[in-house]
Amino acid sequence: MRSPLLLAVLVPVLAACQSGSEPTATPVAAKSHRAQRLFQAAISDPKTFNPLLVVDYTSASAISDIFDTLVRINPLTTEAEPALAERWEHTAEGTVYTFHLRHDARWHDGQPFTAADVAFTFDAIFDEHVPNSSKHTLTIDGQRIKTEIVDDYTIRLILPRPFAPLINSLGQAILPKHILGPALENGTFTQQWGINTAPEKIIGTGPYRMTRYVPAQFVEIRRNPDYWMKDGGGHRLPYLDAQTLLIVPNQDTLYLKFISGQIDVISPRPEEVAELRAKAEQLKIAVQEIGLDTGTTFVSFNRNPRHYVQDGKRDPRLSWFTDLHFLRAIAHAIDKQTMIVNCLNGYGKPAVAEISEENQLYHNPNLRDYGYDLDEARRLLQEGGYIDRDGDGIIEDSAGNPVEFSLNTNAGNQVREKMCSILKEDWTKLGMKVNYRPLDFTTIVEKVDHTYDWDAILFALTGTLEPNNGANVYRSSGNLHLWNPNQPEPATPWEAEIDALLEKGSREMDVAKRRQYYWRLQEILSEQLPMIQTVRQTRFMAYATYLKNFRPTVWGMYRPELIRVSED
Amino acid sequence: MGSYLLRRLAHMIPLLVGITFLAFLVIDLAPGDYFSALKMNPSISPDVIAEMQRQFGYGDPLVLRYLKWLWRAVHLDLGVSLAYRVSVTGLIAARAGNTIILALASMLFSWTLAIPIGIVVALRPNSVSDRLLSFVAFFGMSLPNFFLAFLLMFLALRTGWFPIGGSFSINYDSLPLWGRLVDRLHHLCLPMIVLGTGGMASLMRLMRANILEIKQADFVRTARAKGLSERTVVCKHVLRNALNPFITLAGYELGSLLGGAALVEAVMNLQGLGTLMLEAVRSLDVYLVMGSVLMGSVLLLTGNVLADLALTLVDPRIDFTRGRVGA
Repeated sequence: MRSPLLLAVLVPVLAACQSGSEPTATPVAAKSHRAQRLFQAAISDPKTFNPLLVVDYTSASAISDIFDTLVRINPLTTEAEPALAERWEHTAEGTVYTFHLRHDARWHDGQPFTAADVAFTFDAIFDEHVPNSSKHTLTIDGQRIKTEIVDDYTIRLILPRPFAPLINSLGQAILPKHILGPALENGTFTQQWGINTAPEKIIGTGPYRMTRYVPAQFVEIRRNPDYWMKDGGGHRLPYLDAQTLLIVPNQDTLYLKFISGQIDVISPRPEEVAELRAKAEQLKIAVQEIGLDTGTTFVSFNRNPRHYVQDGKRDPRLSWFTDLHFLRAIAHAIDKQTMIVNCLNGYGKPAVAEISEENQLYHNPNLRDYGYDLDEARRLLQEGGYIDRDGDGIIEDSAGNPVEFSLNTNAGNQVREKMCSILKEDWTKLGMKVNYRPLDFTTIVEKVDHTYDWDAILFALTGTLEPNNGANVYRSSGNLHLWNPNQPEPATPWEAEIDALLEKGSREMDVAKRRQYYWRLQEILSEQLPMIQTVRQTRFMAYATYLKNFRPTVWGMYRPELIRVSED
Repeated sequence: MGSYLLRRLAHMIPLLVGITFLAFLVIDLAPGDYFSALKMNPSISPDVIAEMQRQFGYGDPLVLRYLKWLWRAVHLDLGVSLAYRVSVTGLIAARAGNTIILALASMLFSWTLAIPIGIVVALRPNSVSDRLLSFVAFFGMSLPNFFLAFLLMFLALRTGWFPIGGSFSINYDSLPLWGRLVDRLHHLCLPMIVLGTGGMASLMRLMRANILEIKQADFVRTARAKGLSERTVVCKHVLRNALNPFITLAGYELGSLLGGAALVEAVMNLQGLGTLMLEAVRSLDVYLVMGSVLMGSVLLLTGNVLADLALTLVDPRIDFTRGRVGA
C-alpha cells in the first residue's frame, strides 16, 4: 500500500513541475524574442499611488513615470530643465516666477493639462489636512507660495520673499484637478489613490500609464502613446512599450533574479560587485560605477544641555563633546581606509565635506581631511588635559572623570555595524572606554528625537541637490539638528553663523554667491565637528547590455524616456 | 453537540480579547512608533507628522485606543493601515488566499509523505530503511527553512526547472485556464517543499512512535490471535488508532504554518500575508499588525475547535459533551 500512495502524491506534483517549466523559459530563451520592456525590481510594495502622500522610495519609483513635474533636474549637469513648463522667468528681486506651460500635454484620460492643475497641486501641497513632504521645502518663512493663473497656459508663483531654492524644489508631480479636486474640497484627499485603486484611475501626464498592480508581485506601467515628448526625429517618446517593477523583498533573491535574467537592472551591494564584474561577459551585463553616495555617514556627539545638565549638575561628557581637543582627536582616530577596505569591499572614498562630491555646484573641495593619525590624536588629548592619571589604561579629563561613553548605530545595517567596531577599536587605543551597542532604528530615533539619551551615534542622512533642503539638520532650531535640536536661540557663535548663512543662501539668486555661503557652511562643520565625516560608498549599477541609452547616475536616470531594448 | 459548540465558541471571546490586548500592549511598549522613521526624513516637518498622528487617532491613552480598535473590530472594521492608508481588511483579503493555499499545500506535502513513511519504518523498526529515513528526516528538520529556500532557488537557477521566486509568471494573464493552474502549481512547488520539510520529520517520528506503541497493545494481539491477515491488522486496527493525535495536531498546524510562511514568503518572493505582516511589524504599522494577530488567533482557535469536533466523529470513545474523555 505504500508505494501506490507515495506515487499518487508524487506523480501529479512532478507532472506539474515538468509541464510547468514551459512558461518560465530559461534566461537565454527569454532574451531571444526581446520585447521593448524593462524589468526592474523594488525591495517592498508601493504604499500609495498618490504622489503627494509618498514618503518611501518604492512608492516614489513606482509612480515617477506616471506623472510629470513642472521642471526636472538634469542629473548630469544637476541643472533644471523644462518639463511641463516650457520656460520660466522671474522678476529681478526673485519674488514672482512666471511659468509658461506646454500646450500639448494631456492627462491620460484625454483632458487637457492647464494652469488650473498647477494651481490645484499647490493648493493640495499647502492644505493643512494633507501631510506631505513638499509642504516643508516650499514653505517660506512660515508662509505658503501663492499662485495666480494668468491664462490656461501661464501661471505665476508669488513668493513672500526671494527664495533661490524654488526651482530645485519643484520636483512635485502635478496632479489632475478634474480628478482629485472634489476630494481636496471634501477632505478625503488622503484616501485617494491608495494601492487598492484600479490602475486605470491613476491619471497623470507622464510617459507611462499605470496598467497593473499585483500586491507583492509587480507593478506594470505601459507606454503613453500621446506623450508630448519627442526625440530628434519627431518620434514620440518613450521608446519602451512597458516597464515592470518586480517586488522582491530579499536582496539575495534579487541577485539570483538578476543573474537568471528575470530583471534587467540591479544596484549591487559592495560584496556583489566583484562577482558581477567577473561574470559580466558571460551574463552579457555591464557593471558601471555611477559615483559616490550623495548622502553623508557621520559620527555625532550629543551636545544637548537638556540631557547633560540636570538639577544644576553638569555631566562631564557635555564638556568633552563640546571640546575641540576631544573632537579633533576623535576625527584623527577614524581609520577611513580600513573602513573602505573592510566595510565597503574597497569601493569608497574618505568623506571630507558634509555635501557630497556628487553635488558639483555646492560641494566644497577645499577642506582638509583629518587624516588617520593616532599620535596626533593622543597629542591633542594630552593638550586638552585628557591623561591617564591613575594608570588604569583609561584616560581621565582634567577633573579626573574617566572618559567613558556609549556609541550606537542602527542594528541590521552591517556596514555601519562594522564601521562602529573599527571606531571602537581605535578610540580604545586612545584610552577611551567605548560602550558600543547597535540599537533598533526606532530606538535610535526616540533617543535623537525626544529622550536625547545618547552620547555618540554613527548615523547617515540622504543628500539632495538643493542644500537648503538640509536646513532642518544645519539650522539650530531644526528638529534634525541632531547634536542639539530645536534650540530657541543658537547656543554657539558658529551655529548662529550657520543660521545666518542658510538665511542668506536661500535669498541669494546668484548661484556663484550662493555657493560661497554653502562652502562656508561646510567649512564651519569641518572645523567644529558636529558631524564628523567618515566614508562615502561608491555606487554601482549593473544592467543587461541589450539596454541602450541606459545612463544611470547617483541623482537618477538621465533621460529615462530614451531607454530602449536592442533588437539584436 | 450544538450547545457544546456554542460553549467552545463562547470561550473564544475572552481569549481573543486577551490576545489582542496583549498584542496591542506589546506594540505600544516597543520603542518608537510608525512615525519614528518619518521623523528622520529631513523633508518631513514635525507639524506634518503631528497632522498624520491626529488623523490616525494617536495621542489617546493606550486603553482608550485599544477599546476604540476593539469596538470597530467587533463591527468587522479593522481600521486603516498607517503606511498604506487603506483598510486593513482589504490588504489582508488581497493576500490571505495565497498564504492559505501555500500553508495547505505544504501541509498536504508533509502529511502525505510523512505518514506513509512513518508507517513503513514503524513496520520494520531499526531496519536499514528505518535508520536511513530517520536520518534524512532529522537532516531536513535541522535545516533552517530560509537556507533550504536558498539552496532550492540556487538549484532552480542552475537547472531552470523551477522559477526563482514569485507566485506566478509575468505572462500569467495571457495563459488559458489550465495554463494558469499549471503556472501556479509550478511556482508553488519549491515553497511547498521548503515549508513542508521542517514539519515532516517530527510527523514521521510521531507516526512511527504511535504505531510501535499500538502494535504492542492487547487488542492488536487479539486481532492477530483471531487469525486476521497482517494487512487487516495494520490497516484496520493499528492505523485507525495511531491517527488520533494527528487530528488534534492538524488544528495547531494551520496556525503555526501561517507563521512559518512569513520567512519563506519573504525569501521566495511570494504574494502572501507573511511579507505584509513582517513589514507591518517592522514599521510598527499598529492596525495592520493587529489585523493579522486577530486573524491568526481566530484561525488557530477555530482550528482547535474543528479538530476536537473531528476527533469525536472519528473516535467514538471521545465525547467532549460529557465534559470528560471516555476510556
